Amino acid sequence: MEIHDEHVGDTWIVTAKGRLDGNASANFADHVGRLIESANPKLLIDFTGVDFVSSAGVWPCFYSAKRSNPPAGRSLSAACATQCGRYSISPTSHLCSAFIPRAEAIAAMGK
Amino acid sequence: MTRPQTRFEASTLATSDAITDLTDQIMAFLSDHGVEDRATHHTALVLNEVLTNLGTHGGCRDRVAKIAVVVEPDTVKGEIVDAGPPFDPRSAPDPAFDVTPSERPIGGLGLHLVKKLSSDLEYTRRNDRNYTSFAISRRQSVE
Repeated sequence: MEIHDEHVGDTWIVTAKGRLDGNASANFADHVGRLIESANPKLLIDFTGVDFVSSAGVWPCFYSAKRSNPPAGRSLSAACATQCGRYSISPTSHLCSAFIPRAEAIAAMGK
Repeated sequence: MTRPQTRFEASTLATSDAITDLTDQIMAFLSDHGVEDRATHHTALVLNEVLTNLGTHGGCRDRVAKIAVVVEPDTVKGEIVDAGPPFDPRSAPDPAFDVTPSERPIGGLGLHLVKKLSSDLEYTRRNDRNYTSFAISRRQSVE
């Protein structure tokens, strides 16, 4: 999978594309983990470009969120919802706190 | 007897690399046969989750599992035959949905998705092997 970072204001935005499965999860979780552990871990992950995600792929993200401080944890949950909504898989919506567009998520991060 | 052209068969180990390769093959096969994106995604996801569970919890990464997928007009049917310990995916407990994500224990989502996305989820144990079969509707439905 492709991972691209950009810094907007005081927030890191991670854009992921491709497939997030058990094979890609370790690399992705490491990447996210490094940002979470940085000095200012405001983090938004945009999964809109991810076309396939398995539980083995998504759980490391939640694990990272659970390790993080509250702002990062909330942002990870919202980002996961963005991807999971693609096929309206209702079970995963239970895992995510919100389904929000990218711009709205960025704005919410500033609050 | 000639097998229908809409049948896909493969053997795979339950390792991350092998499961990723199989997912690629399944999605390409279904796409080539005109299966809708949603059904293609769900079929690949169910197979991915069952195999991942086999490798992670069944301790069977080094034992070959056999996969079959058949495209029918209204459904895609799949079957996994593995030599892991007896395990009926229908009996797997659901994740705790009554707590917030930050409080939720890790695990349980994959098999929940298997049960939620598939229909006709069946399991039998024969000759020291697990036979897990499922169907994915090709019609848009409430999930």
